[in-house]
Amino acid sequence: MDIGLGFSTAKNSVLAAQEATRLAKMNMKEEIDLAVAFSSTDISSTNLLNTIATSLGTEVPLIGLSGLAIISNQGISTHGLVLLLLKFPEGVHFNTAYTKDVNERSTLAGEEMGEKLLYGFQDIPRALAMIFSDGLIEAGSNFIYGLQERLGRSFPVTGASAPDSVFLKSHLYFNREVSTNGCAGILWGGKLNFSLGIKHGWKPLGKPHIVTKSNDNVVDEIDYKPAVKFYQEYFNCDFAKLRKDLNQISIFYPIGVYLEGEEEYLLRNILSIESNGTMRFQGNVPQGSQIRLMIGTKETCLAAAKQAAEEAKRNLFSNPRMEIKKEGLKKFALVFSSISRFMLLRRDANRESEIIQEVLGPDTSVIGLYTRGELAPLRAVSYRGEVYLHNQAISILIIGG
Amino acid sequence: MVGENTMYLIGLAGLITVVYLSVIIMLKMKKIKALQTEIYKLQRALDETEEQAKLLVRTDMELNKAQEELDKKVTSLYALQKLSRAVSTSLEENQIFKRIEVSYLEELGFEKTLVYLWDEQEKKFRLFINKGYSEEDSVAITDYLNFNTEPYLNFIKSQKALSANSKALDDAKKETIKFKFKVASFVLAPILPKEGSQGFIFAGTENKDAPISEGDEELITILANQLGQALENARLFEKTWRAQQDLEKKVEERTRDLTRALEEVKMISQRKTEFVSSVSHELRTPLTSIKGYAAILLTGKLGELPEEVRLRLDKINRHSDELVQFVNDLLDISRIEAGREAMKQTSEELKKIIDSVSDLLSTQLKEKEIELSYDIADNAGVVFVDSNQIKRVFINLINNAIKFSPPKGKITIKSHKDDKQVQIDISDNGCGIPEHAQGPIFEEFYRVDNQINQQLKGTGLGLTLVKNIVQAHKGKIWVKSQPGIGSTFSFTLPQ
Repeated sequence: MDIGLGFSTAKNSVLAAQEATRLAKMNMKEEIDLAVAFSSTDISSTNLLNTIATSLGTEVPLIGLSGLAIISNQGISTHGLVLLLLKFPEGVHFNTAYTKDVNERSTLAGEEMGEKLLYGFQDIPRALAMIFSDGLIEAGSNFIYGLQERLGRSFPVTGASAPDSVFLKSHLYFNREVSTNGCAGILWGGKLNFSLGIKHGWKPLGKPHIVTKSNDNVVDEIDYKPAVKFYQEYFNCDFAKLRKDLNQISIFYPIGVYLEGEEEYLLRNILSIESNGTMRFQGNVPQGSQIRLMIGTKETCLAAAKQAAEEAKRNLFSNPRMEIKKEGLKKFALVFSSISRFMLLRRDANRESEIIQEVLGPDTSVIGLYTRGELAPLRAVSYRGEVYLHNQAISILIIGG
Repeated sequence: MVGENTMYLIGLAGLITVVYLSVIIMLKMKKIKALQTEIYKLQRALDETEEQAKLLVRTDMELNKAQEELDKKVTSLYALQKLSRAVSTSLEENQIFKRIEVSYLEELGFEKTLVYLWDEQEKKFRLFINKGYSEEDSVAITDYLNFNTEPYLNFIKSQKALSANSKALDDAKKETIKFKFKVASFVLAPILPKEGSQGFIFAGTENKDAPISEGDEELITILANQLGQALENARLFEKTWRAQQDLEKKVEERTRDLTRALEEVKMISQRKTEFVSSVSHELRTPLTSIKGYAAILLTGKLGELPEEVRLRLDKINRHSDELVQFVNDLLDISRIEAGREAMKQTSEELKKIIDSVSDLLSTQLKEKEIELSYDIADNAGVVFVDSNQIKRVFINLINNAIKFSPPKGKITIKSHKDDKQVQIDISDNGCGIPEHAQGPIFEEFYRVDNQINQQLKGTGLGLTLVKNIVQAHKGKIWVKSQPGIGSTFSFTLPQ
């Protein structure tokens, strides 16, 4: 496998694309199979993608996202572009696909994405899918449900959605197209060696509560009381104050859904509070779930990043699809870290990417983005590898060969 | 009987059973009570934990808010430091604004920033920084400002910052500003350089969840002050630079005038030298004839002369000699000035030169019984000079010393090494030279106005010749004198 990584902090999209592509191409010996690009939102434009394509000199499938901050071997940058060029070894197959209007028809869009990805994969054993979306897919769980309808309930899917900032909308990159309200995906198959690590580091606080009434991502009652009371009682504040502090509360104190056999609770961020006292979360919260209020600190957050990186590194060698040797192994890591972590860590945000690099080693190319909603399968046997939408998590995918 | 016994036994067994069951129930009841107590305790502990969790989470939230505010301040201060450094390192007004990077302003927590300065001549606000607005929006805002200049000029005059939180602004005005500048919150801070046009900085955010704090207002005020200071420095620098340029121009002009004047003076001096030289040459021929004829007449070869005629001819002869000497001095001066008189320099013993001059002037010294002594330092005994010319220097200076010294006076010659030259001092205890005359004494035809000069004849060329000869040897000459005490003429010669 050949891996080329390019990085640029140029404020002009054309200059950034030229610089990053030039650097990424330096390590590429043969033709390029796939390009993955993450950029800050300020430089996202068709110019950026056209310049990458022109600089590559050939049409290469490209997928990517723009967001608030990018992650690379250089650390975290709120302005810039990171570009990963890949040439896969023989026996590895992949297909890319795009689907639009995801928010309006989340389940259907998921199914459509699955169908498109499967195109041409009849005789090839499927390995892993990765899905990107711009902004927030409100009914993200429904999209995954639709996707799993086609790919299979236990098929491993990873990916993330980029958060919009208060000022700028994030964008989805697919080939030369810049779009919004869409999803782009890759389906790998054949002898692909990959491993995943996902953790969040938030800890439960107080006594367990039961979701007594909910529908998908809308929770009506907790402990037979309007859902909003849950937060009002914890924070001793009225409805208006809770709404005002919603962003902060959502980042620092999400709810944790207890999952039998899982090491960590499944976190859910609050999206909004309705005037009737119901709460909408980013991701489904099944009725009858046992939930806890969760709290995160910088220390637990950084420790979780380390555990996720260690887990991904360990798993790469545990069940390889093709023989791999530690010596001379070429690998790259795709890191999706929740924007909530960025907000929690603030000035220590760089420490997280440093920890990942320390664990994976300096020879691992790292590319990533700050996200809002990370996709990864659950580990507990009882869930049979079912993919869930995670919040506040750091997800690390390593592909090596 | 058997039936009775059986009934009795059954009754007893029943009683025992009831008693046993009662005991069991009692024991169970006790256990249940104990368990209920435990459950109650556990429930209470759980409730207490929940209450503690609530306290913890509330405290944590407060801490997080404080931390966030602190982080924001640290980041802002860091950004402010970078901004201050950027603006203060430029002394060019336009460069000050160009150095402000958008990322620094974003770090201050504002994604929209405008800087306006008031143009006194045009009577309108001019936009200098636009960060975060489209061209179209900034033009619209500038137009709005220039249609409503008064409140913004008054705000600048007030010298106080305003924000979306200010009580000094009523709600209607705040809403107008928010609407016109397309923001949810804002800070306005005046830019007040002491010189030149003043203005203001507008910093705003569309983020409704990030209201302006007092800290934000202070930060933008500090930035405005820094900008004001930087503008003031740039303007002062420009002013100073312009003044310096003017001064340099004037100095250049004056230097040019002076050079021109100097050239003219040199030309005049050259013409004078040439004139003096040519006149002297012209005078020398008739003088030679006059002196020759007078000498022939005095020999008596052309017939005996009456005593009266001889006396007159003697006078003609003597005056002719004086005139020849005068003309020769003039010619020497003009030759040296014109550089035509090359100095034939060789190493000479100073003592020999002084002895030779002393011999030459022995008659005059004896006449006035003047004592001439000298003190030559060991390392200052040899000079690299044209001995004939330097003898004339000594002759002139010693002659003057004799002339102005009283009978039985003293003349002292001393020499010492001064750097690479030899300094010679010729001192007398004569009448001295008044201070005002010490400067021009070396000028041509200058004669000190004193009794001796009135009685004794002189050309006023001797010291000029001396000066020219010393200068031709790259030396210097000067005089120190006190009237009534004496004079010391000092000059330097190369070794």
